[in-house]
Amino acid sequence: MLLLDYQNVLIESLLKDRFSPDSTPSSIDQVVSDFDNVTFHISTPNSKTQILISIAVKCYPELVKYGADAVLQREYGPYIVAPEQGYDFSVQVDLENLPAEQEEKDDLIRRISLLKRNAMAAPFEQAFDEYTSLAEQASHYTSETAPQGVREGGEVRAIHYRDQEAIYVKASHDRVTVIFSTVFSDETDRIYGKVFLQEFVDARRRAIQNAPQVLFRNDPPLELQGIPGLQSGKDKIGYITFVLFPRHLTPQRRYEVISHIQTFRDYFHYHIKASKAYIHSRMRKRTADFLQILRRARPEAEEKERKTASGRTFRVQA
Amino acid sequence: MSQSLRPYLSAVRSTLTAALSLSNFASQASERHNVPEIEAKTSPEVVLNPLTVSRNQEERVLVEPSVNSVRVSLRIKQADEIEHILVHKFTRFLTQRAEAFFILRRKPVPGYDISFLITNFHTEEMLKHKLVDFIIQFMEEVDKEISEMKLFLNARARFVAESFLTPFD
Repeated sequence: MLLLDYQNVLIESLLKDRFSPDSTPSSIDQVVSDFDNVTFHISTPNSKTQILISIAVKCYPELVKYGADAVLQREYGPYIVAPEQGYDFSVQVDLENLPAEQEEKDDLIRRISLLKRNAMAAPFEQAFDEYTSLAEQASHYTSETAPQGVREGGEVRAIHYRDQEAIYVKASHDRVTVIFSTVFSDETDRIYGKVFLQEFVDARRRAIQNAPQVLFRNDPPLELQGIPGLQSGKDKIGYITFVLFPRHLTPQRRYEVISHIQTFRDYFHYHIKASKAYIHSRMRKRTADFLQILRRARPEAEEKERKTASGRTFRVQA
Repeated sequence: MSQSLRPYLSAVRSTLTAALSLSNFASQASERHNVPEIEAKTSPEVVLNPLTVSRNQEERVLVEPSVNSVRVSLRIKQADEIEHILVHKFTRFLTQRAEAFFILRRKPVPGYDISFLITNFHTEEMLKHKLVDFIIQFMEEVDKEISEMKLFLNARARFVAESFLTPFD
């Protein structure tokens, strides 16, 4: 499991189980956590056949600002219901009213398990659209005659999806820039993270020429000038910039690219932790080896005199 | 083994063998106490001259002998940030298990990464030449282990980065 899945596996398996024709409806009440402090609530409040799936995202108001409503409307249309108390968005499926075809059912399951991905996708989609219109506008000008607005690109969309970390998306006429700010919880994470990021930066040069350009720095990049609430100067925080080129922004690739880039932060930290765990177990093994060597320094215990039950001793005949 | 490592280790080996001639010596300062003199430092006349064997600026061994105890401190090579953190983690890992290692000191001497304290009780219980062997082997393997871990980390980082970026290709 090298790459992270885009969908929530628990929701997927739960719905698959319920949707299968031979399952009997039963009541559910489950809270499911996902990455980035996202919480799902799956329940059957009214009847056993009506499954309500609600999602709580920390930055939901921001997502709405960037057009999440339209994206969710497009994805879930008829299934949307009023949000449950304490959650931001809810969909409800009725087991008695499912699509007839198995394929359509699978598609519905897939779409619902991608709820987090779709909610978070809105700012990206908006930025990609903005790129398309900017590119279209820019094609009317040469680089000298371009008015300011086109050259500078659009506004920066900030998604504060974790307490101290955020994603910034900015479109311009020839690229879309995605900037992740990330916090390293301790010194080891920071150093491991540096090694990992160096490889992200180098990978493009070495093996994958068509990958987005990756840049890493500890201060906020220039694109984020004037954005409030940025931390800098300290080693604890890092800014990772992905530059998506027109080749990544074509309508055919959009869906994949948006899903994939969303997982970056979790993927990155997951692998830092995994490396830490591996190195830890390796040290444990090496320590055991050292102990073995030290144990050799102890002279072996001399053989004790053995006695029979009646108290007589064995004696080797000379 | 590299060209410069061999003489370094053999110098440490001879130094340790010479320093490890220990005898039981009760404290002169307080009655009925028997403490490692190199740690207590209460009687200067039983503490001998310390000796440093250096391979280069980063790697060195400090041997501090006394009448009933020897303190051996190692400084492990740390070329960059990654090696530094790996050495730090590894030595911390070992010192937390000092109880099992008998001769390991819980805290290194300032300026060094890890210290051993060998007393006359250890040399009475264990074979002296094997103790020296242990320290020499430790020095050899610790370097190897650190560089292997560093290589692993780089290789893994490369693999992880490439597999994340491949779907964009």
